[in-house]
Amino acid sequence: MNAIEVRDLRRVFRATIGTIRRRTKEVVGVDGISFDVREGELFGLLGPNGAGKTTTVKMLTTLLIPTAGSATILGHDIVRDAEAIRPRIGFIFGGERGLYWRLSAKDNLRYFADLYHVDPDVARRRIAELLELVGLAGREEEKVEGYSRGMRQRLHVARCLLHDPQVLFLDEPTMGLDPVGARELRQVVKNLVSQEKTVLLTTHYMFEADALCQRVAVINHGRIVALDTPEGLKRHVEDLSVIEVEVFGIAPTMVDSLRQLADVDTVSVEDRDQKQALRVHSRLGSAIVSQIMQRLDGNGVRVGRVTVREPTLEDAYVRLVGGEV
Amino acid sequence: MKKLSNSFRIFLGGAVLSYKALFRWFRLEPYLATKIIAPLNQILFFTFLGTFATGPDTASFYAIGNAIQLTAMSGIYGVTMSVGGERNEGTLIYLFGSPANRLLTFLGRALVHIVDGMLGVIIGLTWAGLLVGVDYSQADLLALGLTVFITTVSTSGLGLLMGCMSLVTVNVMFINNTIYFLLLVFSGANVPLSNFPAWVQKAAHLLPLTRGIQAARMIISGSSFGDVAPLLAGEALIGVVYVFVGYVLFSWFEITAKRRGTLEAY
Amino acid sequence: MIANLRVVRTTFELDVKQQAVDLFMIFGVLIQPLLIAIMAIYMLLERDASRGIYVVVGSGMTGLWTSLLFRGTFNINAERFMGTLEGIVASPSSLATVVMGKTLASVTMSLLSMIFSYGLASLIFRFPLSVAQPVPFCLSLLITVLAFISFGLLISPLMAINLSLSGWVNALEYPMYILGGFLFPILLLPGWSNPLSYVLAPYWAARVLHATSSGGATLADILLSWTMMLILGGIYVGASYRLFRIVLRRARVDATLSLM
Repeated sequence: MNAIEVRDLRRVFRATIGTIRRRTKEVVGVDGISFDVREGELFGLLGPNGAGKTTTVKMLTTLLIPTAGSATILGHDIVRDAEAIRPRIGFIFGGERGLYWRLSAKDNLRYFADLYHVDPDVARRRIAELLELVGLAGREEEKVEGYSRGMRQRLHVARCLLHDPQVLFLDEPTMGLDPVGARELRQVVKNLVSQEKTVLLTTHYMFEADALCQRVAVINHGRIVALDTPEGLKRHVEDLSVIEVEVFGIAPTMVDSLRQLADVDTVSVEDRDQKQALRVHSRLGSAIVSQIMQRLDGNGVRVGRVTVREPTLEDAYVRLVGGEV
Repeated sequence: MKKLSNSFRIFLGGAVLSYKALFRWFRLEPYLATKIIAPLNQILFFTFLGTFATGPDTASFYAIGNAIQLTAMSGIYGVTMSVGGERNEGTLIYLFGSPANRLLTFLGRALVHIVDGMLGVIIGLTWAGLLVGVDYSQADLLALGLTVFITTVSTSGLGLLMGCMSLVTVNVMFINNTIYFLLLVFSGANVPLSNFPAWVQKAAHLLPLTRGIQAARMIISGSSFGDVAPLLAGEALIGVVYVFVGYVLFSWFEITAKRRGTLEAY
Repeated sequence: MIANLRVVRTTFELDVKQQAVDLFMIFGVLIQPLLIAIMAIYMLLERDASRGIYVVVGSGMTGLWTSLLFRGTFNINAERFMGTLEGIVASPSSLATVVMGKTLASVTMSLLSMIFSYGLASLIFRFPLSVAQPVPFCLSLLITVLAFISFGLLISPLMAINLSLSGWVNALEYPMYILGGFLFPILLLPGWSNPLSYVLAPYWAARVLHATSSGGATLADILLSWTMMLILGGIYVGASYRLFRIVLRRARVDATLSLM
């Protein structure tokens, strides 16, 4: 049985620009996506910023109405049957907001428990359990304004579980967390699935999708460009090798010229402090290194280490989103 | 010569800055609402209340009192924000790190609000004439204009002082609201000072507006400039005192904050 | 149903908690009415020394209105800025229920201020501050609470739909004091404005509260005011129903009300 079914979901945003001569501009946030999520599955929606992940989640959590297409959650239509869906789902939109800063964590949870019509006795017990689960027990009387970012995020997790929802939507839950906090959160997410809850997770960290998700949909520019298990996605780039070159200051025109080389599939550049990691995907592997070096040397680009390696899921992702990470 | 032009530039610079700050959120409707409608509402309410209390022929008393008191909308809310708002914006440390002449910077902030305040009073007096029927035919308009100017300046002086106080306290709006209302109650705008006990009357004369309102009422009913000159002198003096105390506080604040290293806290 | 009442109660509780430490609200709810009371007492001193209770009730009404207006403007908008509006909209509870709880909170706080002014005024001014018809007065107070809550349900979504309307809030304070006859009878006003007063529930509230506290209210008078308050309250609630639907449509369909 599918917990989530999405059919050709589309969302267009209309914005009016200008004060005197007003024009309407249309921005397509989600451009006709379809996918299914089975009950008890941990499904990932992976894509760069602005790809349409959050917009998709907003539609599925009944906060936005789609412009076209349809979706059902546990068999209920997201537009016609929103009332039936709301008590059964929980969601987190990462970030600082969404909590009452002037209130204590406990008061926040009590409030949301009431909003979700949770019986007070049940709520009391669950609040205690959840605080324990997310590691905030003992600090629940403090006001949220004094909480660190990580603590707030964990409180969000507690909040979305109060009413014991069957389906969870986690939108970039580890964003802004330190590595330790993020790891702990991922563990919590894994445990949720073992309780037979369905989880849809969005992220732009591919290692996170790789580590957690049973299946991943890669989304870019509002469209799904690939949907498979992490292993399956890696096979997308099986044929490619990755040539990684450490460079010190490379101009975008240089990068473009590398893209023009025959047998080069994609080129991406990642900033790392003072240097950049230039990644070239090519079928040729080490055979293309000399061409790359020629171009770089010929244009006076300082070069550090050069490695040729097997592609990872990250490379698959880069290829799928066309190098625009 | 260069120092003079430099000083002038600082003065003007501060004025332009607070002009921009005032109009940063400028949207026509709320501005109109605050500048034209809200004053009208205040005048109407208190004139009705006043005539309920003391009879229909006393309408002018209340209309004029409130029209003049309106200068506090700019003089208090505007000016206090100009100073206290620096703190909210986090720009205080930049101000205090600069070599600009403090007095001129300080005073420059009030300039825009003085103009804005006078405009508010003129609008108020217009409403008073149109709707309450206040008769300006006997009035020495020049003297009235001078009264409005002096009263606006002295109220802004209080605003500068309050702005400085808000640098050390938490809530600017709370101070704004309280002072505005205290002025409304005790400046003689609505309550004839003689209704108050003696000690309250004495305290009321320490406030700006008290003498100004009195003078305005006198001028409109036909008194000469000579008659009100002592009042205006008093009003001007009060204004100067407030500015002086405010400036002292301002400088003290800067020194203390720098000595204690608490400037970043602001 | 019970669950919804619980939402109202919890929202009420938490809003009071947050309001109690908000200086801006303390001013609007406590200090401003008090200063208005002092002003009115001294102004009316000449006219009638027994006006004490009239002033206390009247200034209390001004506090009720000011806090309803200012608080009501931010009921929904503050949630937007805080990022908590989504949590409410996506929950099984309705936005209206939450707003009701918050409105109840501001109305209660204002009533407290009325009691506070009453105590202070009797202390300072030593006026006879007895309420002439206590039972009808208290019942009127109850109905006033309901009427004001329904008005609050109208204001909050209206201010959320059109954010620039909140710039007009300053200009809406005094007109209600005037048209409502809070501190002076509306017969002082030009005749053409009276119909305006009659469609405002706060006018009927002030009318019956003044009548039952200063004395001289007939049963017919009282029942008329109560009936008008309930009818108008019902109309406000009906209108607010439509407004809330517009708020939600703007948010979910047009996405122009940015829930985030």
